[in-house]
Amino acid sequence: MNKLIAGKKWLGSVMAGLVLVILAGDALAHGERAQLASMRMRTVHWFDTKVEPLNIKVGDIVTVTGKLVTSEWWPKHMPSIDETVFLNMGVPGPTFLRLHSEVNGVPMMRSTAFPLGKVYEYKTVMRARVAGRYHVHPILNVKDSGSLVDKGTWVEVAEADTDAPFVNEVTTLPGETIDLETYALKGVYTWHLIWIAMGVAYLLYWLLRKELFIPRFIRIRELGADRANELLTKKDFVVSSVFFTVTLAVVLAGYLWAENKYPITIPLQTGLVEVEPIEIPKGGLAVEVDHATYDLAGRSLSMKFQMTNNNDSPLRIGEFLTANIRFLNPNVDEGEIYEGEEMVSTDGLTASVDTIQPGQTVAVELVASDALWEQYRMTGLIHDPDSRFAGMIFYYDENGQRYFQEVGGAVLPNFF
Amino acid sequence: MSEIQENGLGAVETKARLLDLKSLDSPKAMKLYRRFDGIIILILFMFLILGVQIQFTLTAGDWDYWIDWRDRRWWPLVAPFSLLLFIAPFTYGIWARVRLPIMATAVTLLLCLVSWLSRYLNFHEFTHFPLSFVFPSTYIGLGILLDCALAISRSLLVSSLVGGGLFGALVYPINWSFMAPYKVPVEFNGMLMSVADLMGYQYIRTTTPEYLRIIEESTLRTFGGSVTPLTAVFSALCGMVIYMIFLWVGSWINGLDKYTKRIV
Ligand SMILES: [Cu+2]
Repeated sequence: MNKLIAGKKWLGSVMAGLVLVILAGDALAHGERAQLASMRMRTVHWFDTKVEPLNIKVGDIVTVTGKLVTSEWWPKHMPSIDETVFLNMGVPGPTFLRLHSEVNGVPMMRSTAFPLGKVYEYKTVMRARVAGRYHVHPILNVKDSGSLVDKGTWVEVAEADTDAPFVNEVTTLPGETIDLETYALKGVYTWHLIWIAMGVAYLLYWLLRKELFIPRFIRIRELGADRANELLTKKDFVVSSVFFTVTLAVVLAGYLWAENKYPITIPLQTGLVEVEPIEIPKGGLAVEVDHATYDLAGRSLSMKFQMTNNNDSPLRIGEFLTANIRFLNPNVDEGEIYEGEEMVSTDGLTASVDTIQPGQTVAVELVASDALWEQYRMTGLIHDPDSRFAGMIFYYDENGQRYFQEVGGAVLPNFF
Repeated sequence: MSEIQENGLGAVETKARLLDLKSLDSPKAMKLYRRFDGIIILILFMFLILGVQIQFTLTAGDWDYWIDWRDRRWWPLVAPFSLLLFIAPFTYGIWARVRLPIMATAVTLLLCLVSWLSRYLNFHEFTHFPLSFVFPSTYIGLGILLDCALAISRSLLVSSLVGGGLFGALVYPINWSFMAPYKVPVEFNGMLMSVADLMGYQYIRTTTPEYLRIIEESTLRTFGGSVTPLTAVFSALCGMVIYMIFLWVGSWINGLDKYTKRIV
């Protein structure tokens, strides 16, 4: 009876916990829209995000690769990514196992730092663990700032062909091959049961007696504080001493047993990993931002530039990228779109000048417009306290070689 | 009779107390008391479950959720700190009124049970973490030591020195019996990691990035392998102090019933 009611209470608190988890999970799933528009524009520019394959089974490998540029326009009020950052993956819990991750070829098991205005090429290899359909987002956790979320790609994970339980085998340095899914759980269960039994036995000793709370209270009131200890019997003393001794002995025995069974152990490992940033490739296009306006009705951003081509080859602007949205110039028709890729506007970019000849300095107006502005809540731009934009332009020489660089500046709203 | 009256009790109160005392010999009254005792246990334990779970989640939370947070420096300090300040006021109240040295064991045992339930349902069934990564720690043995120290010495002061000290000092040893295998070294991508670190890396936690872990950092500041004993000594001292302070808080809270009695 006692147990039953107590059990219900636990369930209540657990249910409350569950609701919290569900809410948190949902908010995370579409973090791509949650952040302020200017935050998404001026933190990191993710591009070339590629998730493959998109249809797998439990136990199969999925690889996520991509690049990012850390924005020179990083908001001043936000702790910067050049201090502490961790390359992570936005999936609902451990539905995937992370087998490997790297940035610019350096393994990324721990946190690192990304100086601003550089290129980082990342790769994460995962093994599907739980069947389901997941929106996989690369994520950067920036210390004290929060998560920067790339756009997601849907991955369909089917059940494995066999009914065998999922195993995750690793060989330790002492040479033992272990399955992390169930590793050392026998010991955990055994020791927990021992201690629960001890605790229950101790409580039963004190609680299973003829005179409990109310009678003892009455007696103590009668005896007074000075003589209250008379309520404790010789038997209480002996039993407590036995429990005390046995408990100490079990703690010691357990400790020595584990020391003996696992003689080689190390403390938890931590520390920052250093990664060498890649410079943005020089394409020879000098860009000066004149003016940028955001047109609410037309859902478009128009930017006026002064551009000078210092390259030997004519250059054409093929793409504008901001807040993970790609605006492609249909006339240039460059820039690969990957299978399952979202947030791409294939004809979202128009350039007032198609080709910039070598040595030429010219005024260029780029207009990036698409309903995606609204869908991803970029229209909130005018409500931001710090109305500036940043994005990346991608341009191509006559051989189709791609270059990119970041542009940014103040942006004014245009209501008509 | 006259003795009690000298204590400043009125005649009505004195009579009532005598009746109460007599009732202890009446089987009928005792039956009623036993029923009330059952209800008291029920309410008390439910309150403890809720209270300790909230308190422990807010203060020790991540240190107890993940095996790759249970380091040898911070966790053995945070966990007993959090538990002792919860246990002490209850111990005082129950000890002063009914002389039962049970609160530390009750709190640690209930915490263990509710943690298992939450890890199993929330972390394992619902969020797919393997139990080997999220199993709770145990503090029950420490609770028994703390309670027994009080039962044997019959002194709150001695119990806070001996029991509070042991509670702090033994957090690491009592859990080592089943935690040791998770500190076995593994080589991964040319880097040395413990099994726990590797699990923390492989089982993705989107909102708990690696840098959030508050664990012992550089090995330069420490004296070789003696981090664990040093932390144990420090933790024992903290345990004593915290327990004493919150026993005092308990005595203060306990004193508040003077006012309620007057109102009634
Ligand atoms: Cu999503």
